[in-house]
Amino acid sequence: MSKKQKIIFWTIVSAVVVLLITGIILTNGLYERDASIQESMQDAILHENDKIDLFGLPVNPGLISAYLVTGAILLFAAIVRIFVIPRFKRIPGKFQLVLEQAVGFFGGMASNNSPHRNNVLGAYIFAAGVYIFFGTLFELVGVPWQTVNGTSVTLPAPLSDINGAIALGCLSYVFILVGGIAANKGRGLLRTLKEFSLPISMSFRLFGALLSGMLVTELVYYYLALSFVLPVIVGVLFTLMHAVVQAYVLAMLTALIYGEVTEPPVKKESARSHKKQTKTQTEVTL
Amino acid sequence: MPLNIDWQQILLHLLNFIILFAGLWLLLYKPVRKFMQKRKDEYEKQDAESERKQTEASRLRAQYEQKLADADAEIEAKRADARKTMDAYAAMRKNAAQEEADSILKEARENAVREKEKSVREARREISALAAEATEKLALRETASEAFDQFLDAAEAQEKKGDNE
Repeated sequence: MSKKQKIIFWTIVSAVVVLLITGIILTNGLYERDASIQESMQDAILHENDKIDLFGLPVNPGLISAYLVTGAILLFAAIVRIFVIPRFKRIPGKFQLVLEQAVGFFGGMASNNSPHRNNVLGAYIFAAGVYIFFGTLFELVGVPWQTVNGTSVTLPAPLSDINGAIALGCLSYVFILVGGIAANKGRGLLRTLKEFSLPISMSFRLFGALLSGMLVTELVYYYLALSFVLPVIVGVLFTLMHAVVQAYVLAMLTALIYGEVTEPPVKKESARSHKKQTKTQTEVTL
Repeated sequence: MPLNIDWQQILLHLLNFIILFAGLWLLLYKPVRKFMQKRKDEYEKQDAESERKQTEASRLRAQYEQKLADADAEIEAKRADARKTMDAYAAMRKNAAQEEADSILKEARENAVREKEKSVREARREISALAAEATEKLALRETASEAFDQFLDAAEAQEKKGDNE
């Protein structure tokens, strides 16, 4: 390590230590525990006692998380759009490669699962995947916020709020429904309605997965004895894992069912001729 | 509502996600896809172009190989023609040489005949001279002058006879 690198390293370490100490002093009052574990976990699920004021409206902390995540993602996207995309090269660099991989992954998923109609689908599952992934990782940041009661709450993942999960699950269902009607009219509508349990399953899968992760993390953080080493595995690795899994599952399910409902109907004549042709081939083989 | 489900907050979440969807589509997804599609089109175009050039090169190669084969055949044909001409010329030269040799031989034979006749005449003349000399020697033994006259008469008579022949 050269002298310059040593100076940079120690400067960063000192800055981090100073920031941590400052944070501890400033947030000392916010992190006082005044509830039992049962109450904490009930609050984590229902958010009945830790409402946050949003322009005079008491809302769950998950909604604030959702707005913060959306704001951060859109800000990042705007910066990338203005400063990075115009400088894209034919042979991509590392960052360009990551962006192309992400977009290409969701675009490919859309075109593979719905080959007939996938332009908007690709963008939708990209947005959903990004939202779920970064929304889930958001709980790692642990942003403190003041509730309407004056107590503090750490902002959870947006989708650990059941309202957020229901919104995304139902929106995905509506998106599939609209795609089905646009592609196949009445047939698409019926095909989508056939999957009537989809919004519920999608919503509660997201809610359950995200909530379980959060509850485990909450449980671990509640006891001092479990607060060493274990949070690294539980808090970071598990969160990362279910962020990836849930983003993939919702994107894949949406693409798959969208592909099914937008698939053009097979004409009876062609089906009959195909059957006839298969029969002839069988006879020839025999 | 059970589980703290709140329709107003669901709508707020929906609004949030729709804004995110629209923003990401316009700011990130669409431009990146457009760039990737453009690059893909360029590569496909290059592929098609190289494919076309490859086909053209193959066609030209086949054409050149055909020309080369034609040229070989042509060279072979010309070589055969040249060989034929050479053979004809050699035969002609051979005939001419044969004719010349025949002519030389004939001339040589004629010369030989003439030489032979000449030799015979000279031999005959020498024999005559010898005979005359012998006769003279013989006649000198009797009367030289008589014998000489007789000899002259005889020689004259023989010369006349030779002229008449």
